[in-house]
Amino acid sequence: MADQDFDQQALIADIKEKFYWAIMVRYALVVLGLVLVVFGSFLGSLQNINLLLVLFVLVYNFVAHLIYVAKVKFSLWGIIVLRSVFQILDVLAITFLIYITGWLESPYWFLYLVMIIISGFGMYSYSSISVFVIAFFSAVFYMGLLGCAYLRIIPMYGPNFTLTSQQLLISIYNKAIFTTVSFFLFATTIYYFSKLLNQNREQLAEKNKNLLAALEELKDTDRLKDEFVSNASHELRTPLSVIRENIALIKDGLLGQTTSEQRDLLQTTQSNIDRLANILNSLLDISKIESRSLELRRQPVNISEIAHRAVEFLLPKAYSKNLEVETHFGEKIMILADADQILRVFINLLTNAIKYSNENGHIMVGIEDLGEKGVECFVSDTGIGISQNDLPKIFERFVRFDKQKENKGAGLGLSISRGIIEMHGGKMWAVSKLGEGSRFIFRLPKGAENE
Amino acid sequence: MSDKKKLLMLLVEDEEDMLKAIRLRLEANGYEVIPACDGQEALMKARTEKPDLIILDIMLPKMDGFKVCRMLKFDEKYQNIPIVVVSAKTQKADIERGKEMGADAYITKPFKSEELLKTINELLAK
Repeated sequence: MADQDFDQQALIADIKEKFYWAIMVRYALVVLGLVLVVFGSFLGSLQNINLLLVLFVLVYNFVAHLIYVAKVKFSLWGIIVLRSVFQILDVLAITFLIYITGWLESPYWFLYLVMIIISGFGMYSYSSISVFVIAFFSAVFYMGLLGCAYLRIIPMYGPNFTLTSQQLLISIYNKAIFTTVSFFLFATTIYYFSKLLNQNREQLAEKNKNLLAALEELKDTDRLKDEFVSNASHELRTPLSVIRENIALIKDGLLGQTTSEQRDLLQTTQSNIDRLANILNSLLDISKIESRSLELRRQPVNISEIAHRAVEFLLPKAYSKNLEVETHFGEKIMILADADQILRVFINLLTNAIKYSNENGHIMVGIEDLGEKGVECFVSDTGIGISQNDLPKIFERFVRFDKQKENKGAGLGLSISRGIIEMHGGKMWAVSKLGEGSRFIFRLPKGAENE
Repeated sequence: MSDKKKLLMLLVEDEEDMLKAIRLRLEANGYEVIPACDGQEALMKARTEKPDLIILDIMLPKMDGFKVCRMLKFDEKYQNIPIVVVSAKTQKADIERGKEMGADAYITKPFKSEELLKTINELLAK
């Protein structure tokens, strides 16, 4: 219901605006009329009746203006009726004009059609009736004029007719029929035309409303999902913590001595708990990344320093497989990014490089400053590589290509890394040759102006 | 030599199983443990028992851990008691909030007991 009120208010305001516009146009016409009258008075005699017409329009327009300025609260029908009343007065003024410009032979009867058009447009679905109202009054006033002039109730203006009374009557009759029929035909055309326009407008408004409602529902669902994810996170972490703690307590001998066999088993249990915890964290992260609700804290950071940290962190692991790690980046390259997340990406790529390399391999980490284009980073290895078939799938979730190796991951690392890069406005891709090695590349914008 | 008075830990945790596990660990390390299962009980026991250190969970009934932390840290009498937050709330925002509320350390669940013990030792040494 509130929506309807709002729509009504908007409608009323719109019609008021048109009302005001009509007032201004009338003033302009009055000025024009005065100019013509004054001009005419220089040429010939001052036509009082012209002046009378101008004054008539001025007076009722002034009344309209007063009503407008009075800021009366109008209901929808109120303002429509008001506007129609003044339009009828306009029709009267047009009739007056036709009278003084030769009535029967006046070329200005088309102005009635102009009024019909004006009344037909811009009142949305309420315009329907007003066209016919205006057409009706146009016909009535015009025929009234003809009748009065013929019956000499008012003096005839314009050319002297050399027609006989009967011929004049026929002429008047024809004219009356012609104009009345045209008015109504025209009115009907305008009516259907404006109805067509209104239908479109209303359909659009309806569609809009539906879209907005659907959007609200989506937002709600999204919010529910986020709440669920964050609750699930807590719900899963708590029992996981208890399990881990209890296992640790037993393994550490706090509940009595344990055999070495028991300790081994417990150790395996602990590793699996760690693995579960990792998968849980990754799942939650990927869920956040996909719903774009992962909060990035962008700050000016030195990406070289981040890469350096990642390398340092993983150096021991690399050395344990006798892998050589080479770095290729300048001391300081500044970009706008979330340092922790970029670190994760480097660690993920390096971990993969190490994991999928055989002994005595070679790993390289590089960063290139591309100026305006951003920075391009890569991590390459001389490991087992990825086949051309599998290459397009590696960034997908839960995809892992070697089932033999012991793996603690859930297959989400690359998915998450790419998500992080893309959330920064960058791109990540890979090139690889089976048996020779792989290279993972990502590009990041510097981020100063772009967003 | 008489027994050195055992250091007193206030352990605030609403999950019974978790409480039991951590308590076992702490007692095995020579600490005396007083439990509390909700925010209000935590505040009350902190004031009456005067522990040497508080281990504080965040998701608690009646009053959440952040509030408890803030209230203790803003009170002259108790602000010197080190508080270690141990919580499943792992968001950066939560960790920062913990720091804002005056926590001396923030450990996320699931945690390694060595980490917890090490943190406790470090804080008690000060």
